Formats: sequence, C-alpha cells, structure tokens
Amino acid sequence: MIETDINDLSDDADYAAASRQQGPASFNRSDSGRRSSSGETEGAEVVYLKDNVTIHPTQYAADWISGRLKLIKQAGSLFMTWIPYKGQNSNARLTEKDKNLYTIRAVPFSDIKSIRRHNPPIGWQYIIVVLSSGLAFPPLYFYNGGVKEFLATVKQHAFLVRSADDANVFVVNDFQDPLQKTLSSLELPRAVSVANSPSSSVALSESPSSGNQEMTEGGAFNGSAASVRQNGTPRQKHNDPARDLHMQVLEKFSLVTRFARETTSQLFRESQMDGFLASERRRYDQPLVEHQSLVEHPESPDSNGSPKTPVPADPLEFDKMSLVWGKPRQPRLGLEEWSNFLDSEGRVMDANALKKRIFYGGVEHNLRRELWPFLLEYHPYDSTFAEREYLVAIKKLEYETLKKQWQSISHAQARRFTKFRERKGLIDKDVVRTDRSLSFYDGDDNPNVHLLRDILLTYSFYNFDLGYCQGMSDLLSPILFVMKDESESFWCFVSLMERLGPNFSRDQSGMHSQLFALSKLVEILDSPLHNYFQQNECINYFFCFRWILIQFKREFDFDRTMLLWEVLWTRYLSEHLHLYFCVAILKRYRNKIIGEQMDFDTLLKFINELSGQIDLNPTLRDAEALCICAGENGAACIPPGTPPSLPIEDASVYPQLEDDIL
Amino acid sequence: MASRRRMLLKVIILGDSGVGKTSLMNQYVNRKFSNQYKATIGADFLTKEVQFEDRLYTLQIWDTAGQERFQSLGVAFYRGADCCVLVYDVNVMKSFENLNNWREEFLLQASPSDPENFPFIVLGNKVDIDGGNSRVISEKKAKAWCASKGNIPYFETSAKEGFNVEAAFQCIARNALKNEPEEELYLPDTIDVSGGQQQRSTGCEC
Ligand SMILES: Nc1nc2c(ncn2[C@@H]2O[C@H](COP(=O)(O)OP(=O)(O)OP(=O)(O)O)[C@@H](O)[C@H]2O)c(=O)[nH]1
Ligand SMILES: [Mg+2]
Repeated sequence: MIETDINDLSDDADYAAASRQQGPASFNRSDSGRRSSSGETEGAEVVYLKDNVTIHPTQYAADWISGRLKLIKQAGSLFMTWIPYKGQNSNARLTEKDKNLYTIRAVPFSDIKSIRRHNPPIGWQYIIVVLSSGLAFPPLYFYNGGVKEFLATVKQHAFLVRSADDANVFVVNDFQDPLQKTLSSLELPRAVSVANSPSSSVALSESPSSGNQEMTEGGAFNGSAASVRQNGTPRQKHNDPARDLHMQVLEKFSLVTRFARETTSQLFRESQMDGFLASERRRYDQPLVEHQSLVEHPESPDSNGSPKTPVPADPLEFDKMSLVWGKPRQPRLGLEEWSNFLDSEGRVMDANALKKRIFYGGVEHNLRRELWPFLLEYHPYDSTFAEREYLVAIKKLEYETLKKQWQSISHAQARRFTKFRERKGLIDKDVVRTDRSLSFYDGDDNPNVHLLRDILLTYSFYNFDLGYCQGMSDLLSPILFVMKDESESFWCFVSLMERLGPNFSRDQSGMHSQLFALSKLVEILDSPLHNYFQQNECINYFFCFRWILIQFKREFDFDRTMLLWEVLWTRYLSEHLHLYFCVAILKRYRNKIIGEQMDFDTLLKFINELSGQIDLNPTLRDAEALCICAGENGAACIPPGTPPSLPIEDASVYPQLEDDIL
Repeated sequence: MASRRRMLLKVIILGDSGVGKTSLMNQYVNRKFSNQYKATIGADFLTKEVQFEDRLYTLQIWDTAGQERFQSLGVAFYRGADCCVLVYDVNVMKSFENLNNWREEFLLQASPSDPENFPFIVLGNKVDIDGGNSRVISEKKAKAWCASKGNIPYFETSAKEGFNVEAAFQCIARNALKNEPEEELYLPDTIDVSGGQQQRSTGCEC
C-alpha cells in the first residue's frame, strides 16, 4: 500500500531539516528569540514561542487579531496557548471581547487530534488545530513563518504521525488515552516500517509549490477531493486562504473523520486483518458527506455584553465565512431592538430577520410574553397590534367554552366517565411533579399548579384523540411561566403541540422517526461513533429519548431551557435543529463514550447524568455548524413528516386504539 | 470481600404511572422520600450493593415510565432482567387491575428463558395515605391474586414513610439471585466463594 510511505515525518525533507536543528539552542532561531525559563526544573517550560501569529475572525483580511503562540511543557505534558496582544494589534472593529473569545488558553496536546499545515503559494502559512472532540480553532496564520519549527517542536514533545491520507495533516497521539494508545500501537508498525525505508523521503519532500496537494488529490486514497466535489464547490483558489477556508475546513474534517474511521475499524476488526483490508479501505473511500468545523473557545456569559462580531457590510459573505464555525452567540434581543422590527401598526416587517436574530441570541425574558406567540405561530407575524388584541379576546372566549366542557361534568357523570376520571387523575399526579423546585410552582395548593392542571385537561378535550401524555406538563410549564395568562398559555401550548404532538402519539411513531433520523445524522456526521453504537447495541438511540420528547427540558435549568426553546422555535436553518443539537452533544462526549467503551446501560446512565452539565451556547454553535455542514445530505437523513415538521391537517394523526383508554 | 468482581442483579420496576416506582427505588437506595420527584421520562436506574452470605452483589434497579404509551421502549430495558417488581397503588383500583397487563407485557418483551418460574414480586404501595382508609384493594384480595399467579411474594409498602421497603427489596434481591443461571457463579474471579453459593437454592421465605 502506497500510503504507508508517507506515514512518518522523517520523509519530509523540510521537517527533517528543521528537526536536525532542533535542540535546546535552536529556540533562539525563532525570531522573537525569547525563550523563558530554559533551565528551570519545576513549573512550566516554554519550548516554543512565536510572535505575530494571527487569526482572521471574518473573511476580511482587514479583520485580524495578532498574538503570541507558545508551546509549554509542564509535568511531562505539552500545552499550546495563543494569547492576543493587548492594545492596538488588531483592527479597530474588533473589540477586546473578540480577543477574549478567540484566546487559546493552555490546551493540552492530549486534547488535540491533529494539526493541518497549509503552505499556500501566495500568502501566509497557516495551521488549523483540530481537537479530539472534532472541534477546530480558527486558522493560525504565521506572519513571520515558523510552521516547520512549530511542528518539529510538537514532534519532540508529543507523538506526532503524518496522516496516511494527506501529507499536510499531522495526527497527534496521546498515550494517556486508552483508545488512542490502542490506535497508536496499531499505527506504529507502519511508522516503523517507513522509518526503515528512508528512500521514500525524496519523492515526498515538500516543494514550495502546491505540488504536494495536487499529489494527494490525485492519490488513490484521497477522501478530501471527493468530499470537496460532493459539496459542489471545486477547490481552486489556493491563493486566497480566507475565502478558501470553508472548503479547507470541510476537507480537513473529512480527513480527520476518515482517519478516525479507519483506525476504529481496525480496532474492531481485531485479528482478521488480512483479507478485509483492501475491501474495507475501498468501502471507506467512497465519497463522504463531510462536514463541520467548530470552534471551541471561552464564551462570555450570554446575558450581557455587546455583539461579539461586528456586523459586516455584506451579510451573505459574512454568513458564508463564520457559519462554518458556528457564529458567536449574540446578546438577547431587547426591547429597543425589538421595537425596530415593528412597523407603526405593529407588524413584524421582516419575520426572517427577526427569526435569525432570535436564533443567534434568544430573547430577553420580559419580551418573551410578546414574542413567543409569534415564534409558535399563534400570532401571525404580519398581524397588527389591533388584530392581535382582537385575536386574544376571541381566543379567550373560545378557551372558556372548551374549559366548560369538562368543568360542567358533574360528580354523578364523572362516576360513569372512566376515561375522564383517569385522564384527570393522571394530570393531577403529573402537575404536582412538574418544576416544583421553582417558586412559581412550589408549595401546597399553588394556583399556578391548578392552572397547569386546567390547561392540560382542557387540551385533552380540545385534542381528545391525543389526550394527555406524560411530558406534556413539562412542555406547558415554561409557557405558563412566561405567558401567565391562562387562555394565552393554552393557545401557545396548542401551537407548540401542533409541532410536538406526534412525540406523544400512541404508537410512538413520532419518537421513532426522530430517533431514526438522529441515527442517520450521526452516521454521516460521525460515522465512527455511529459504528460504535451499532456494535454496542446502542443503535436504537433510546438514551436520547428524554432529550427529544420534551425538548431538553430536563437537561437544562429553566432559563436555559427557555432560551433553547426559542432558538429551536425560530426554525431558522432547520426545523430539526434539535436533532443536530443531539449530535452536537454526542460529539462533545464521543471520546469519553468510545474511550470508556460504554455499554447501553452505562451510556444511558451517563446521558441521564449529563443533565445540568451541558454547556448551552457552545453546543448551540456546534449544532448550527453541524446543520450547515451536513447541508442537503443532513436534510435527506430526516424523512418527511418527522416531528416537529409542519402541522398535518389530518384528523387521523392520532389513531385511537381500542384497548387504550387514556 | 473475597470476590473482586461483583455479580450484577438486574431488577425492573413496573406499574402504572404515579404508583410510586421512582419513590420506592429512591427510598430503598437513598433512604429518602421527596415530593419533588418528576414523572419518569424514558428510563433510569440506580445501583446498590447488597450482601448475602459474605458475598457482595450489585443490585441494578431499573425505573421506567408508567404511561402505557411508552411501553414500546420496554424491550430495550427489560432484557436480561433477573427479577420484576410489579407495583400498584392500594388506593387506585385501576393500578391493581393493570398488574396482569404489566406482568404479561414483561414476559412478552423480556422473553425470559423460563417464563413459568420467572421471579415477580408485587408491592401494594401508599398504604400510609389516610391511615389506610382510602384503600380500595384489601391485602387479602391482593394476596389472592398473587397466589393465583404462582405464589408471587407480596408486600405492602409506603415509599413515603419507608415502611416495609427494605424488607421488600431484600426479597427482591434474593429472588433475583435465585434467577441467576448457575454458571454465573463460576465466573473466574468469583470462583473462590462459589462453593458456598451452591446451597443458596432455597431463595427467600417471604
Ligand atoms: N402518600 C404517599 N405518596 C407517595 C408514595 N409513593 C409515592 N408517592 C407520591 O405519588 C406520586 C407518584 O410517585 P412516583 O414515585 O413519581 O411514581 P412513579 O410510579 O415513579 O410514576 P411514573 O414515573 O409516572 O411512572 C408522587 O407525588 C409521590 O410523592 C407513598 O408511599 N405514599
Ligand atoms: Mg417514576
């Protein structure tokens, strides 16, 4: 197999040269010349330092932040940091907040999956660092050169292997991680055999042109070229790294994923390596739907602060660029900005812009009461103040009528109405188990708990076929908390159930179709993880059941739940963002899940215990990026009609089963 | 403890929504009752170490949602169960009438190798309410039903007051243990005490 020839760094003439020069003294070669604490035995030792390493947060070359890149060795582990300079070393549009956002604070190499080097013929060299979680930092441009030394230094202090797929991808192996260890030992024989055949180094030495890339693109085992074509945009602009970023990021992920896929498949193939190898390889080399690049960096609290990214002149261009990373979350939509969305009579002038705004930032709490009815499509966006007022009044009467249906059931009638008694009993039992830790619902005889009960019972008459099902009280609780008014809460809940009702259908088909779509999405967005689930009898994805049934209500505190819901309700980007959100969470913990070889029970427990542990905003960004990168292939994974897709005006949505009373 | 690796005993708690499955499990494992437990969505389990005759076992107690609509999930959770606990609320007739449905549903979905002798246990919960005055199922009636289903052990419990919960789960654990196939007792890392386990065939006298 020819790819074994490019498996080691030693075949890279440039690398070899840099490597020979490496030694304690060689650090003085770096243009900064500052090497701190060289002789110190305790604490951190800076083993590499480079000034003027710069990121471009947007595609505009004019937007840049410069900083200092360091490799630090401490207690046997290697860390990378990139700290922006204080003061004027960025253009004026970018704030200190932006700098803070992109700062890389001591990332251990055990968290780094791979580093991709880019040497465009024109422009600066840059690298993209991909974390084991699948996330990536923005490209780091070496204004003063030094990528070679950087890689050489990493090689000295951590285990670095050149990817078999692409000579510009260097995979970091962490011996502390049991899975990685296994992977490394699998890789080692190949690396060793390469080291024994130095003759190959000549053929593969890096030239200053883009010859290397062309070589790999023409190679038999190149998945990146396929994935680029798959995404419909031929890669041509080597001379504009910024505009090319989207493609390269996709391409990089294809490599990383493919590498992980191959090594994982090796793991599971165990001893029967021989005959399979060729066919396996071919199978994994079919065009991949590749995806995704996500930035992971410190988020400032979402409730305050100004927009983290300045609004650029051309929003489309801006999208194309930043969406790849998942846009920085914005502050919540406030009163003043909201009033600018309305014309003088109260119509929302640009519903799409509003949805987009809410998608990226959510809504300030005191505005939710006004905005949720729009998001749930209870109030039309193009209605006026007066029309809404009228609608509210009409609906109030309608609600009262509906409510009377069960209120007028006498004791004597109830005694002969088992279905009603049981339904009421179920609701009574559930409302006292719903968000009781919240002061809004706590205590004995709480009037809000009675409201929950009345609304749910009225709903079970309004939609008698669907009736009441556990989980509904969880969905109603935040709505009542926000809307306060009984009738308004009811109608908002009705609107929400237009979308989520199928979650509660008797045959569970709504849940099954979502779990199925989720499995398909994981299959294209993280096939090693998908394979893992398959091999460990976790493929039913039941461990995500609670997430989907009640829209992550039990996974976040009340405020975050409300924020997540309004983001999902915008249906901006996708009606099924919640599924990408599931994938984003799973991807964040994939290494733990696979590394610890969780079985079904352990996984279920692990997922249940993630409750309260999930970082909302970064996960939303990941979900956004996954959704965009999966694109049409992602949408194709989700069968038409999968909840919460558009309401189906069909009375037989909830088929009644004869023997099922409730 | 002599054995390094403890044997896992898997127990499933079934019964109508609101009969107190989650409360019973928490009362047994954590010895506390809270009226802030939420309705169970999906499934979860707790584990507890139990000791019989100098051997430690891990009791894995599965708590699933009671609503019928969620039963199709059951198959994923019931598999490999060593004992099934059927719970009803002594104050709610329907929850008692449903016991047989739960039992049959379990046998169908878990398909144990020997359904005739698979260990079930029935718990009549919430006996504390109203000092027992709002009961609609008498102990006698419940025991008669248990007898008709192959002498299922029966306990009256209150998860709220912790009444009889420990005793019930002792019995549950013993029955689960009885159900474990014998070869499990000869796992290499537990072989040192397996000889003593051979006599443990009498099960619980409850
Ligand atoms: N008085 C009294 N109340 C109880 C007892 N056990 C449970 N409860 C209450 O009954 C209600 C239901 O209890 P859960 O333990 O949540 O019931 P469950 O069987 O797990 O219900 P699902 O999760 O919906 O299937 C709660 O409000 C409990 O506080 C008991 O022994 N006595
Ligand atoms: Mg429960």
